[in-house]
Amino acid sequence: MAVLTVKDLKVRYSAKGPEILKGIDFEVMGDDFLAIIGPSGAGKSTLIRCVNRLVEPTGGTINLLGEDVCALNPRQLRNLRRNVGMIFQEFNLINRMSVMDNVLSGRLGYTGTLRSVFRAFSQTDVNQALYYLDRVGLSDHINKRADELSGGQRQRVGIARALMQRPKLLLLDEPTSALDPKISREVMALIRDIALELNVPTLCNIHDVQLAKEFCNRIIGLQDGYKKFDGATETLRDADLEDIYAMEVL
Amino acid sequence: MASFDVNPEIVSQQSDLRRRRFLKMGLIWLVILAFIGWCVNGTIIEDTDWSRIGGRSGVLASIGRYFTLDLGLFSELIIPTLETFMMACVGTVLGCFFSLPVAWLGAANVTPSKSLLYPLGRFLMVLSRSVHEIVWALIFVSAVGLGALPGILAIAMRSVGFISKITAEAIENIDAKPVEAIRAVGGNQFQVLYYGILPQIYPVVLATVIFEWDINIRRSAVMGLVGAGGLGLLFFRQMNSFNYGGVSMVILAILMLIILGEVISHYLRKAVI
Repeated sequence: MAVLTVKDLKVRYSAKGPEILKGIDFEVMGDDFLAIIGPSGAGKSTLIRCVNRLVEPTGGTINLLGEDVCALNPRQLRNLRRNVGMIFQEFNLINRMSVMDNVLSGRLGYTGTLRSVFRAFSQTDVNQALYYLDRVGLSDHINKRADELSGGQRQRVGIARALMQRPKLLLLDEPTSALDPKISREVMALIRDIALELNVPTLCNIHDVQLAKEFCNRIIGLQDGYKKFDGATETLRDADLEDIYAMEVL
Repeated sequence: MASFDVNPEIVSQQSDLRRRRFLKMGLIWLVILAFIGWCVNGTIIEDTDWSRIGGRSGVLASIGRYFTLDLGLFSELIIPTLETFMMACVGTVLGCFFSLPVAWLGAANVTPSKSLLYPLGRFLMVLSRSVHEIVWALIFVSAVGLGALPGILAIAMRSVGFISKITAEAIENIDAKPVEAIRAVGGNQFQVLYYGILPQIYPVVLATVIFEWDINIRRSAVMGLVGAGGLGLLFFRQMNSFNYGGVSMVILAILMLIILGEVISHYLRKAVI
């Protein structure tokens, strides 16, 4: 069963601007760890942000967990977003808040406005946050401010925050680009293990082809808004890579 | 003297350039001096009642009258001083409340309507600052009568401009990444504001509010000149009854209050940053 079905997705940021995505089709299955690779400017980030409508598509349809994403009103959209965990290239943490509060903010979609003013999260949420902080290896840093941590640790906070949503789909936007190679591998391994453990399908932007081959079961190649490749990782040949990255040589 | 071997063409170019610059600078200074001279002539030379000044000793004697203190006024000073202080505090808090919506409207990245409400927000900021606090006080005295209330309203209105402008600019300069994260977890508009934006702007906003409060103590000290409560009223009365020692007492009280405000805001600012 497909968790996510994208059909003929088109995006342009302004009426006269260039078309960033020019008709993309793909599906994410329940057990996929799907990588989207491609050169800078190919539209990877735009594509992944269309899934939870952080970017508004201009054409095509997106079906996520049985709902037509583009047809949702703001409230329905917020409810859908609660099911989609997102991990960002630059972590997107709230720097002045503690690690714990950052992780708890993953539950905001389930927390009433008044409760969120006083950061009065439920005991279940607090327990869950402590559990995931332990799972990502940050038990010793719970009360530190987010900006006191190193890059790798911050991304672990980002992972814990996404897990707090008990997501049915994980979106990863270049989760390792701001990290060094060794930490990148650790972070990817952690995400993969957790995704397997929780049985969450994952859609991952990544420009590091090596990491994509190592961690993902399927790969989509984007180039200049078109899909150039879509297949199992083993079927990706060097010729395909050359095709995908052809424009970057220029 | 050592001789330096340089291209004579460049030398003449340089001296040309320097001569021209000298002339230009001279001209600019001349224009400035002429302008100031014109202003001095118009304001001081022609507009002063020289016959009333009556020599150097007269001026000194007039000023000297202020160097006495009417200590009997002390008991009358306490309440107005306290009132001045309270007016500044309440006025600042009220100003903060008024500033919130104005900043929200006037920050380009969060304004609900870029074409209509954004210009309105910006206009309110300019309006608040372009009208002097005394003029605001006059307006409110005529609206709600004498007393501290018009003073508080005037201070609040006058505070809106600065607080909301700085707040709006802080909002415009925030890092969009945490905002994106809160939207992505399914947070509502308020949660995006409260978790994504507020933690980024509150040090700037708080420092601004403390600064404004400090200024508002000065402002509330003169509010009484137009009947809007506080020390100003006492000052006005002492002046009208030619009690120069009393005037000095009031000025001294204002000075004390301002020093107190300065000290408190210094420590508050330290605590915030």
